[in-house]
Amino acid sequence: MSVGFIGAGQLAHALVKGFTAAGVIATKRITASSPDTDLPTVSGLRKMGVNLTTSNKEVVSKSDVLFLAVKPHIIPFVLDEIGPDIEDRHLIVSCAAGVTISSIEKKLLQYRPFPKVMRCMTNTPVVVREGATVYATGTHAEVEDGKLLEQLMASVGYCTEVEEDLIDAVTGLSGSGPAYAFTAVEALADGGVKMGLPRRLAIRLGAQALLGAAKMLLDSEQHPGQLKDNVCSPGGATIHALHVMESGGFRALLINAVEASCIRTRELQYLADQEKISPAAIKKTTLDKVLQQPGVGTGVGVRTGSGISLFNNSHPRNKK
Amino acid sequence: MDSNLRIGFIGAGNMAYGIAKGVLQSGDVPPTNVKVSAPSRRNFDRFQELGVDLTHSNTELISSCDLVFVAVKPHLVETVLCEISHHVTSKHIIVSVAAGVTLEMLEGLLPPESVVLRLMPNLPCLVQKGALLFSRGTRARPEDGALLRSLLQHCGVVEEGPEAWIDIHTGLSGSGVAFVYLFAEALADGAVKMGMPSALAHSIAAQTVLGAGQLLRDSGKHPAQLRSEVCTPGGTTIFGLHAMEQGGVRAATMNAVETATERARELGRKASSTATQNRK
Repeated sequence: MSVGFIGAGQLAHALVKGFTAAGVIATKRITASSPDTDLPTVSGLRKMGVNLTTSNKEVVSKSDVLFLAVKPHIIPFVLDEIGPDIEDRHLIVSCAAGVTISSIEKKLLQYRPFPKVMRCMTNTPVVVREGATVYATGTHAEVEDGKLLEQLMASVGYCTEVEEDLIDAVTGLSGSGPAYAFTAVEALADGGVKMGLPRRLAIRLGAQALLGAAKMLLDSEQHPGQLKDNVCSPGGATIHALHVMESGGFRALLINAVEASCIRTRELQYLADQEKISPAAIKKTTLDKVLQQPGVGTGVGVRTGSGISLFNNSHPRNKK
Repeated sequence: MDSNLRIGFIGAGNMAYGIAKGVLQSGDVPPTNVKVSAPSRRNFDRFQELGVDLTHSNTELISSCDLVFVAVKPHLVETVLCEISHHVTSKHIIVSVAAGVTLEMLEGLLPPESVVLRLMPNLPCLVQKGALLFSRGTRARPEDGALLRSLLQHCGVVEEGPEAWIDIHTGLSGSGVAFVYLFAEALADGAVKMGMPSALAHSIAAQTVLGAGQLLRDSGKHPAQLRSEVCTPGGTTIFGLHAMEQGGVRAATMNAVETATERARELGRKASSTATQNRK
């Protein structure tokens, strides 16, 4: 089995690093494409032994499982480019936040009757094999395709199938989650430094505390509320600290954060479906390179100047 | 338990009534072995229905009882104890129910060999659903605690602890009852705002608190667990809970218990110093 990545940025890099650490696939069976060969992630991938190319079509021809690891607004261009080259064996896995299976299928149906599409939402800790991944299965993907993807993603952390309508919530929780955690550790470390600890030690201890607590929770049958109680001796330091946190509305803050991320994901998806994206919003090099590829022509609704409509080939719609 | 044990109550208010009811419910003590004293007849009626003896004389009561609950208002405790002190022997067990009156104070007002315990009940003792915490004085032995516990078992939940916990218990469960009433009122107000008639809203709010409380007590589960179980993903409850978190209800509740506890401690300190002053 060969795996390909359209896009060689943070996500592709993290996944490849995780897959190879897990030994689930050899790097020589991995191909990745990127228009920009100067990216640090590109050199990182090259060092790992991944085959690199500037041609998306080449990735397609050399892969069975094809990860779309580009930014959401690039997806439609990529699909238009590689559409004609998709074969029956291909399993397309989109990792783009807010991009629906139906929008991808709609594009690919122009080229193939039964494109096999899956959508996954993962997160950066796949790089250390502690990722959190969910996936949803498209109309024409088989049970085996799901199992295959699950096997791959389970090698780099937790992986489970969900209904597609939950993916935005997952984005808000575990997609953005590591950022919440990094912020928390940084702030905890600040607290430690304020109280006299050297910075590096403070960060180390803060991160280890979160790591340890998470592991305890995942290994335990107990409710996190109970585990919290277990740490809080009567009248002790911890309960005093927790009171401070409650007074600061800590819980509400976290709920708000997850909600905000989820809502924004939906907004971006809506924007992608409904609105025009100006060419300036897309890196010029990417657009040029895409347009230069053989087979990508004017017949696919790419218009410059008056804005580009992403998911339909008719004239640009008016903004609502 | 000794079936001849005679129980007395100095004071005929709510606390005495609630405890007396619970004591009688156990069946170990016949009503004829229970006596209540109060200065006026005002509160005697409901005690009469219990079939207990009634008197206006505290000294008569202490002489004819073995275990005596001192259930008068805190500011009257000193007067009452001074009054009965000469009749208190080492065979008596004195249980004070007065908030803010420390064991040290109680023992200071009674003869040196006196057996004293301090009890903090709460209002729902009236319906045998109380939360009671007691603490043993210097001369009170474990058996005295066990006796008290078995007498009180029908009043509700009875626990023993060091005296330091009694102020916390006051904040948590003594005052806590009022916090629950506040919450119930607010639940009802919310429902009224949404269009439900007030009487119905209040009735349902009360039952909601009662039912939730019973489930919490009987399930043995952590409240966080029970809360999770009610929260369907994306459902009404989680939305409502978010509003509560945003309102800082948790912190406010912790603050309430803390403030009430601190006040109990302060009152205890004040009462101690006043008593010390008075004795000088």
